[in-house]
Amino acid sequence: MHRKMVWACGLVLLMVICPRASAADSLPPANRWISPEAIFVVEVSQPEALLDLAFDPKMIEAVASLPAYQKQAEQPGFRQFLQVVRFLEMTLDTPWPTGVRKLVGGGVTLAASADGGALLIVDAQDAQMLQRLHEILLGFAKNQAEKQEQPGRVASEEYRGATCWTFGGDEAHAILGNRLLLANRSEVLKAALDLRAKPDGQSLASSPAYQNARAALSGDMVASAFVNLQPLKQHPPVKDLLTQSSSNPLATLLLAGVTEALRDSSWLAVGLDVEEDTLSLSAVVDGKAGGENSPAAFALPSRDAEGALPNLAVPRRIAAASLYRDLHRFYAAKDDLFPERTSGLIFFENMMGIFFSGMDLTEEVFGETRPEIRVVVAEQDYDSAVGTPQVQFPAFAAVFHLERPAEFAEVVEEAWQKAVGLINFTRGQQAQPGLIIDRPVHSGTKFTVAYFRSPKDADRTNVDARFNFRPALATEGEYLIFSSTEGLAGDLIDALKKEQAGTPKPLAETHSLVELDGAGLLSILAANRENLIRQNMLEEGNTQAEAETQIDLILAVLKYLDEAKLSVGSREGRPQANLKLKLDLP
Amino acid sequence: MFADNRTVPDQGRSEPPGTPDAGRPIDPDWAWAPYKPDTQRPWDLRRAGHLFRRAAFGADWGQLQQALADGPQRTVDRLLRPDADVEAFHRTYDEYEASTAGSDSADGLRAWWLRRMMQTPHPLLEKMTLFWHDHFAISNARVKNALLMHKHVQSLRSHALGRFAPLLQSVSRDPAVLLGLEAAANRKAQPNEQPARTIVEVYSLGPGHATEEDLRSAARAFTGWFVLRGQLRYIEREHDTGTKRFLGEEGDFDADAVVRILLGQPAVSRLLVRKLYRWLICETEESDDALLAPLVESFRKDYDVATLVETMLRSNLFFSPAAYRQRIKSPVEFALGIVRGLEGMVSTTQLGQDLAALGENLYHPPTVRGWRGGQYWINRATLIGRSNLAGALLSGSEPYGDKLDPAAIAKKHGFPDPEPAGRFLLDLFLQGDVEADVGDRLLRDVAAAGGDLSRRLRRLAGTIVTLPEFHLA
Repeated sequence: MHRKMVWACGLVLLMVICPRASAADSLPPANRWISPEAIFVVEVSQPEALLDLAFDPKMIEAVASLPAYQKQAEQPGFRQFLQVVRFLEMTLDTPWPTGVRKLVGGGVTLAASADGGALLIVDAQDAQMLQRLHEILLGFAKNQAEKQEQPGRVASEEYRGATCWTFGGDEAHAILGNRLLLANRSEVLKAALDLRAKPDGQSLASSPAYQNARAALSGDMVASAFVNLQPLKQHPPVKDLLTQSSSNPLATLLLAGVTEALRDSSWLAVGLDVEEDTLSLSAVVDGKAGGENSPAAFALPSRDAEGALPNLAVPRRIAAASLYRDLHRFYAAKDDLFPERTSGLIFFENMMGIFFSGMDLTEEVFGETRPEIRVVVAEQDYDSAVGTPQVQFPAFAAVFHLERPAEFAEVVEEAWQKAVGLINFTRGQQAQPGLIIDRPVHSGTKFTVAYFRSPKDADRTNVDARFNFRPALATEGEYLIFSSTEGLAGDLIDALKKEQAGTPKPLAETHSLVELDGAGLLSILAANRENLIRQNMLEEGNTQAEAETQIDLILAVLKYLDEAKLSVGSREGRPQANLKLKLDLP
Repeated sequence: MFADNRTVPDQGRSEPPGTPDAGRPIDPDWAWAPYKPDTQRPWDLRRAGHLFRRAAFGADWGQLQQALADGPQRTVDRLLRPDADVEAFHRTYDEYEASTAGSDSADGLRAWWLRRMMQTPHPLLEKMTLFWHDHFAISNARVKNALLMHKHVQSLRSHALGRFAPLLQSVSRDPAVLLGLEAAANRKAQPNEQPARTIVEVYSLGPGHATEEDLRSAARAFTGWFVLRGQLRYIEREHDTGTKRFLGEEGDFDADAVVRILLGQPAVSRLLVRKLYRWLICETEESDDALLAPLVESFRKDYDVATLVETMLRSNLFFSPAAYRQRIKSPVEFALGIVRGLEGMVSTTQLGQDLAALGENLYHPPTVRGWRGGQYWINRATLIGRSNLAGALLSGSEPYGDKLDPAAIAKKHGFPDPEPAGRFLLDLFLQGDVEADVGDRLLRDVAAAGGDLSRRLRRLAGTIVTLPEFHLA
């Protein structure tokens, strides 16, 4: 452990110290020294941007305030690590943040191949510092090897004009000018040196798939990743995942074309950009997003003006999703999409047959919905007259856009009341209390809500979990709201009134938009902290103290997440996903 | 009822003077007299391990060493009345369980109970709670209410080492029991015979002691009791106030009176002593009346469970070959023996599921007669299942992670090297009960095998706990 830590420190420092290397200009891009067989490549082309974020005083303060960091800082191993850092700072005559910048500032590339080979290429800004650090580490390694009576462990050999070193085991590395090559096997290092010796040889840089992937990423990325999907798709868990989703209607509906595109793709490119406190990740594959006849066509906006709508904003929101899914088209194609009728599908059809008795499900039910579907999850605002459950489930709601709201709203109302009746009948058989239906008015909109009668003598701080639910159904303009609580239904009525005062503009080329509000998520998790700790104890076998540490770490990290936004769609016919993480640093 | 042929199995081990010869009936006076170690029956690791397998869920190395130092009587004292703050422990776990029960999660309750069994400072109490859960076998599959199941098991725990009379009284008014016996409504117009039949024939007398008329009368006595919205309620107008004849007595009996009359029957004591004998001493052969007679007689006086358990655990018979390895571990005993031995804590959510797959789903006994147990725990499928579970617990990877580390435990107790560490694991799990050539081969293998010691000892531990001896309690 101690030795690994020292190597890690050394490596970090290798990249920390150096006057600008003239050799850097003469070396070709790192991807020319990587085999075209690599299946996974990460390139950090602008390390400065990431280091700026990492060394931002706000980020340092945020990390230092994490309980897990503070606990770690009290460990003897951490103090030892700091001593090593200080030693290297003195020896290399530079503060460690500067040292890190000098050592990795030219770029970092990591490549892995299907046979387990891994190669790390680091371009330092200061070649002299790189050499000095290597000498320090070499001395240290030799000293250790001699102490352990294994002097032959540290060795070097010449290969194609380069000195290849190993400090022990399978590790192999070499320094060429300002470039460090570190491999987990000597043959991997030698393969890189072979490519260096043959500038016209087949390398990753000359691979058409890699070139296409790079070209598909727009803009000047801080970092990028290339994944060769062909071998990955043969990996049993991935293979199962891609197959399973096609037999699961809900997964097919939600993932809409993503799995089809992955099945059809040979590569995946991911780009990372950093702008102030926001990290942006974009992913693109070369598979087709699907056409008019594609099984995933139900999620493809057919006109430019169509797409997922912006998410609805409600108080105490935790998460929201906006989807473009043509349910009519999806359900009409169900026999093609799911040739094997699963028990889940049969149950769904049976229940829908009861609720919408005498109606054709495809044309007269799903045909009445438009493709814009939105889902909202929000923290509940508990009525003090009812009380607060010990486990506080968030409220959730689905909002459907209707073709003919005036005609269809009553049909849904009837179906909804049948469902409540069925629930009550079933609960009645189990001698359990049933739901009472009410018709309140919110902001001038009359809607339906069902609730459990509150027991008179209940402990209001720990009421039964069923009081998490007050299912509600409302129609507001062109939209139909199914909500798990009355409060959220009211908030959505307000949000839809506000939205319909203008004209919501669909998001172009986007069929799915998921947003997560850090503050809302933190709040609901904090409200359930005790339950999460207990759950962790049971599921992980942790002690209460260990469980508290893990849960508190999650809560502490979430404190610094302002917002996460994932959008999925297509650009120029290619499926694309973008993830934005906005941090809220102190 | 039983042939008077209870004998001491001859396992080739010498017994002290006064011990009946192999093949001859056991003298009850000798059998129930307290065991006193001597040169021929020394207090050793084997007997200490035996005590912890029966009166607890196995032991860790520290407990075994402490027991060796304390001797059998003091060890039994500790098992019956531990020094630790048991009340505080139960308060904490009651709170954990109440919160889970409030979410109506029976799987969560199952996970908490397993965790409680692993961590309790009073394992005998949990062992006896499990005994009563098997005896009053109420399943959440019928109750469908985690809160009621939580209160039911809590009640079993509070009476587990108390007196049987209040326990039976409590059970007869437990809403979980009524729901579990499909007796949510007991109307005088249609008396429900299920609770009466179960309380009489399963919980107290055993079959064949009551006539059909007795059972009908008992059912009438239970009328008026309802479980409405999870609450037990007595509706007086639904109680049959007519005269009933029950076990030779006549009167306007209610449920309490039925329980009182039952407790006056000698068959109750016989049933419970025999059942506890199978639980704590031996399940391979039926016990004979003459051997159990002193216990039956004494238990009938006050139905004091703790005294009965204490007598059995301290007895010569308990520490004799007639009891040693004469039970098959249930899946819970099997798994907890591994976990407690290695002083670890694993995911009890996962363990609960795995144990259910092996046939022991806590809070869900299969029938009103509980688990059949004994040889029925073992078949080809469950043996493979036990082996897989042991492998999963000891693999160091998912789903149980690296929570159990035989090498770390061996090192902690002063055995860092392969061969002594292997010997330590054999002693920890089997207390030397392994054929010499098998043990030697295992130790040779662990010493000769290359690679990481932690992995080697995980493999060895996995092999040890799948040996036939480890399946025997």
